[in-house]
Amino acid sequence: MSQSVLICDDAIFMRTMLADILQQAGFDVVGEAETGAQAVARYRELRPDLVTMDIVMPDMGGIDAVREITKLDPAARILMCSAMGQQALVIEAIQAGAKDFVVKPFQPSRVLEAIQRVLS
Amino acid sequence: MDTAKYVALFASESRENLAAINQALLALEKRPDATESVNELFRAVHTLKGMSGVMGPGYAGVAELAHELESLLSLVRDGTRIANADTVELLFAAADALEQAIEQAIAGQDAASKDTVAPVLQRLRATNEWAAPVQEIAAAAAAATQLQGNGYHITVKLSPDAALPGVRGIMVLQRAASLGTVHASRPDQAALSGDWKGDTIELRLETGADTRAVEEAIRDVGDVRDVQVARPMASSADDVRARQRSDDAWERAESRRGQAVNVRIDLRRLDALVNLVGELVIARGRLTQLSGEIMHSELDDAVGHAARLIGELQDAVMASRLVPVWQIFDRFPRVVRDAARALGKDVEFLVEGREIEVDRSLLDQLGDPLIHLLRNAVDHGIEAPDVRAAAGKPRTGRLILSAARDRASIMLTVTDDGRGVDRANILRKARALGMPEGELAELSDEQVLRVIARPGFSTAAQVSDYSGRGVGMDAVLSRVRGLGGSMELETAPGQGTSLKLRLPATLAIVPALLTRVATETYALPLTHVQETLHLTPDVVRAVRGRDVLVLRDEFLPLVRLRDVVQLPVRDAEGSQVVVIEVADRRAGVVVDQLIGQQEIVVKTFDTVRGAASCVTGATILSDGSPALILEATSLL
Repeated sequence: MSQSVLICDDAIFMRTMLADILQQAGFDVVGEAETGAQAVARYRELRPDLVTMDIVMPDMGGIDAVREITKLDPAARILMCSAMGQQALVIEAIQAGAKDFVVKPFQPSRVLEAIQRVLS
Repeated sequence: MDTAKYVALFASESRENLAAINQALLALEKRPDATESVNELFRAVHTLKGMSGVMGPGYAGVAELAHELESLLSLVRDGTRIANADTVELLFAAADALEQAIEQAIAGQDAASKDTVAPVLQRLRATNEWAAPVQEIAAAAAAATQLQGNGYHITVKLSPDAALPGVRGIMVLQRAASLGTVHASRPDQAALSGDWKGDTIELRLETGADTRAVEEAIRDVGDVRDVQVARPMASSADDVRARQRSDDAWERAESRRGQAVNVRIDLRRLDALVNLVGELVIARGRLTQLSGEIMHSELDDAVGHAARLIGELQDAVMASRLVPVWQIFDRFPRVVRDAARALGKDVEFLVEGREIEVDRSLLDQLGDPLIHLLRNAVDHGIEAPDVRAAAGKPRTGRLILSAARDRASIMLTVTDDGRGVDRANILRKARALGMPEGELAELSDEQVLRVIARPGFSTAAQVSDYSGRGVGMDAVLSRVRGLGGSMELETAPGQGTSLKLRLPATLAIVPALLTRVATETYALPLTHVQETLHLTPDVVRAVRGRDVLVLRDEFLPLVRLRDVVQLPVRDAEGSQVVVIEVADRRAGVVVDQLIGQQEIVVKTFDTVRGAASCVTGATILSDGSPALILEATSLL
């Protein structure tokens, strides 16, 4: 069975691009969220194998969402998606419980590598 | 061995060393962090110790004192002891005692010599041992760890293309910490959290896991190219102590460097280096040319090898001048905020690509033009909040400054989502300034830029305090051109304006075509040279009273360099045409003679008003003669 992914990003463009990369690699994109609060709610409902999480989102940012999700499920596998120049935020996210990160602009191969690490 | 005959030599040489010691001590007293003074002291004392050891038992006191003094200096040198007033005072006392003891030993007063050194020796030993216990405790702890067999020294190499290496480094530390206790790392966590750009992390980990498990766990962090897990070896307490000491020094040195693994270099030194490399590149050109004429295969090989090395040296030196654009970008948010506040605008300012690296001297010259463009955008681009709201736009305007690299160019773009350039308005003002009507019928973006970049345009048009400070778009454009760059404007009514500056990544050395007019040599940067051809009557045609160049069914304006640089006219026979191209505009430039291609070292100067505006700099050619550098855009 293919593994399920929840994509969290406030930009449709980024969500679409990530969904394409993931679907081509055989993942099952089970849901999308455009705010941190939605991400937490959808995680609770879907329990995906993997979450991709944008850092800056309206209505609860990605880092707080990571904290909330890890509270729900300490084993949650979350991959942060960061823009350049967000080093401090990425560190915060990792310390909050995210398992790895990728930096925009995305290279599909790097995204998949990171996902493999997170899932292994 | 009879050392008596060496006494005179010993005496004179030890006096030299004592003088050196005193001099170094005075320097150290003034600047306690002067490592060169400590090194000099160490060297002189070490020499004295060796010499007095050879001189025999009569010099035992001297040798002993020198030995303890050396021990103290080595503590100071590796930073275990600070050269504070107490330490320096003790060093002075020791130096005095050393001098006296040496004189006494030379005079054969062995006992007196020993008496002289005794009190200082005692003080030195007390001091040196004071430092030792701390180390011994640490060493004992390290040794205990040793016995349990679970201390590792781990070296992690990250992939060179790892994104955010600092974050990856922190993940390495985190992963290691999940296996046991991380005792130390270099860089440490704080340094990694800064904008760390290295690729090697070392750490000491105490854990019960075996080597393989540690290695695998760290490899799993990702972007790891190599992991080496070593068990520190220590055969005796001495070794442990020695290593402990060097480790401590290592960590202190590292923590000093931690924030930025950089060496500060005076920019003038770097410039001198660039100039020298420039001269070297020119010499290489000459050498290659000569060896080509001589046609000797071994010489060719040697010259070819040297030429390649010079090329690599040039690249390395140029790379050392690169700095990230944030070094000037970081003051812009304040500039934008102040402008927005003064003008009653709401502006959100975004910076993209702040890590892009450009040549230092280029960056220095871009600050003012960029500030001008940003203020301009806030003033004339972005509308007042009410106006925006009425137009159905968000009240807050958006201003983006982005930097990007495009092969050998740097692109800097200032984009606003304001009202766009009002073409009708520009047209009115352009007419008022008496610009030729023919050009104005329908303004393309490029023409708009040309109009607003006319000297005098902005001062005539601007009314506000903010962008009308005498630095108009003409100044921006001339600066950008002076740097060998170009500028493009894109504007859409109601949607905003974007100004794109394209600049060469490095300035100092460019390939150029050398041409001659009368007795003067002019250099045209090759980036703008498209082709060259002979000026024969059949390629020239008169159109509306002006000469044009016919190039494969196209008509290009013909510019006579002789006229541009205002040299007396002469017959055009035997002349050459250089076709230059900037963006999508081309022109033929008529010169007397083509000399050839050469790499030139650009020395820019600011264009003086009234001087030929087509000249942006000068260079010295490989034969030592000067040449002026032409700015292609101004010839169009």
